[in-house]
Amino acid sequence: MTAQEVRLCGLLLQEHFGEVVEKVGTHLLKSGAQNLRTIIHETGLSVDLVKKSLCVLVQHGATTFSSGRKGLGSPTEYHTSCDRILRILRYPRYIYTAKTLYGDTGELIIEELLQRGHTTMSSTVKTVADRLTQNMAEGRTMDYTEVSSTFSKLVETHFLQRCPPLPGTPATPGTPAAPVNTAPPTPESFPECYKVPSVTLIGRGKRQLASEDGEEQRSAKRAKMDPETHGDEGIYWQVNFERFHLHFRDQTIISAVANKLDQTSSEIVRTMLRMSEVTTSPMATCTKPLSANEIFRSLPPSYNILRPILDQYLTLLVDDPMEFVGKAGESGGGMFVVNLHRALANLARATLESVVQERFGSRSARIFRLLLRKRHLEQKQVEDFAMIPAKEAKDMLYTLLSQNLVQLQEIPKTPDYAPSRTFYLYTVNQLPTARMLLQNCYKTVANLIERRLFETKESKRLLEKSQRIEAILASLQASGAEPEQLTEVEEMITAPEKQQLDTLRLHINKLDSAENQVDETIFLLESYINSTNASS
Amino acid sequence: MAAHGRGQRTLSFTMETVKGDAPPPSVQQPTPVFPVMEQKPLPLTGGEEAEYLLALKQDFRGAMRSLPCFIQPLVTNRDVERYSDKYNRSEQMDKLLDWAPDWKRFPRELRVHVRKPARDSVSAAVQSPPPPQMKKKGVKDKEEVLLKLESLEKKEEQETSEDEEGETKKKQEEEEAEGEEEYDEEEFEEETDYIMSYFDNGEDFGGDSDDNMDEAIY
Repeated sequence: MTAQEVRLCGLLLQEHFGEVVEKVGTHLLKSGAQNLRTIIHETGLSVDLVKKSLCVLVQHGATTFSSGRKGLGSPTEYHTSCDRILRILRYPRYIYTAKTLYGDTGELIIEELLQRGHTTMSSTVKTVADRLTQNMAEGRTMDYTEVSSTFSKLVETHFLQRCPPLPGTPATPGTPAAPVNTAPPTPESFPECYKVPSVTLIGRGKRQLASEDGEEQRSAKRAKMDPETHGDEGIYWQVNFERFHLHFRDQTIISAVANKLDQTSSEIVRTMLRMSEVTTSPMATCTKPLSANEIFRSLPPSYNILRPILDQYLTLLVDDPMEFVGKAGESGGGMFVVNLHRALANLARATLESVVQERFGSRSARIFRLLLRKRHLEQKQVEDFAMIPAKEAKDMLYTLLSQNLVQLQEIPKTPDYAPSRTFYLYTVNQLPTARMLLQNCYKTVANLIERRLFETKESKRLLEKSQRIEAILASLQASGAEPEQLTEVEEMITAPEKQQLDTLRLHINKLDSAENQVDETIFLLESYINSTNASS
Repeated sequence: MAAHGRGQRTLSFTMETVKGDAPPPSVQQPTPVFPVMEQKPLPLTGGEEAEYLLALKQDFRGAMRSLPCFIQPLVTNRDVERYSDKYNRSEQMDKLLDWAPDWKRFPRELRVHVRKPARDSVSAAVQSPPPPQMKKKGVKDKEEVLLKLESLEKKEEQETSEDEEGETKKKQEEEEAEGEEEYDEEEFEEETDYIMSYFDNGEDFGGDSDDNMDEAIY
């Protein structure tokens, strides 16, 4: 939990849950697992606020609680981790993926679950049906069964999973306590993780009438008090981020192949990945071997290429230096695997190279690539291999060294490290450099968010004014006003103010968009680092 | 390391001084906050997907602000009392009550029974004798009570466990409010020390005397 991660988590909590939750969350991140009393004492907030914040954090899966370290009698301790909070950056991508795979219904289901944290199937289905009905044409409503079927599909493909049931509550002190295992159980260790409960949900979405606010609130609250039980009380669902990450990883590999080679080879790789979706474990180094015959049979019908052409493509893929596809044997016309970990490592390496290129120029990038390939080189050798004049090569190497992208390794000839009798070799280590760049990415996103908050705060007065005017315009239009009145209200904002608002909107959109794109790099680097953790 | 006595300089400077080349000038202060960049950064990738992701992100942020899990502390220190205060306060109370998590999934100590401050103060008023309380409250209280009554009406249906209590309280409050209203009306209308019922505005004066014409009017 580095300082940059904590800072970024704090900003994300502040934007999505408010300042109180941010205070409690950052305190827990910095000080590890603590019990309620200590948190209240050290943050200085009121008891109610701390309790509510902890409820919100637990509801969204950011905090877990467990019985204290000293045994059963000690108070419960709360533990927050950065990873879950950093996922908030990726929420738009999850929602968009659900939309591409399962349409608007899937998109809304995932959005509901991300907003609420843990919910039951019945409440999600009802809310989503209502929202879909709102957007549909007059007189048409959304049936609950459609939404339920999309929900079931999401569960079958493991995009949604059940929240793990809690360890036995300490309400029965008489029974001997089960041994407390130190690691929290993963949701997948429970057998019913992906089982859809049999839920009786019959009905259609309700359209909210355009009545006064008071009436709406009252009817909505009365609807909530409906004591209908649908047979799935106590079964809560959450989004399975790991499954989405596997999907993203596959997408990245396929688009990389498409960029490097051509469309047909990317289709071949896509087919291979699709065939091995269910047989590959999440931490696998490569997919299960597939024979060329199987691949040929499973290609999509729109791609009718001949069998010898397929073999040529596969040979090309195997020979490619990016090593996406490897050959694992000769039976069945050749057994092929997709090298997942190696593909991730190569993609991370390409990212590092492009970072150096964009920051320091193409010649420094040439030196960087050289050092990645040749591991250790002396300065003279760097100049020779890179074909760069000595003075410039020296400058570039020093710049890279001061930025910590290149390291210096000494190899002494004599026991005293006399400079004249020591070899100084330049080297690049991919994994530590990737970690360092990942921290840079976190810092970048935190800076982007802070700048966006600053810009919003600067123009707060102007934004409030424009919001008020929009509200007035909307109410006037709803009550059917004449065009002159509308133009009069619109002119309340002067032209330079309008321009200021436009520039502000442009800046905020740019900053938001930049956050999304930095998150793509974050995903790639995180996947690479996690893959090395798993294999080592 | 041979660079022990040389402070923050990197090793290669030592190497270069040995070899006779001039080392690059060492930096003695922190780098500037916005350094001049030799290479301009690439523009952001545009496109439909990026715009859709942007819209999703902004919508999500906006939606989270309106959910009950967005907790803002009640800003108690106000330099000046504002008209919008009473509307803002009732809005916040709505949000807090909307969220009823499944308490079985949380540790027992986190369970918070949301007590609306309105309810508490009114129930406190039930127990204490009404008149001294009423006299202390001014004109604004009448409007506050009406607002509380409205919000209480709305929240009535939510409190399943406290349904009966709520009804009895509501009845008590209604009676009290009526009593308060009458009392306040009296005080409000005159704003003097005289009590309304003692005042005789003389409308009955002429009517009484018309009945008995025998007696002389002095």
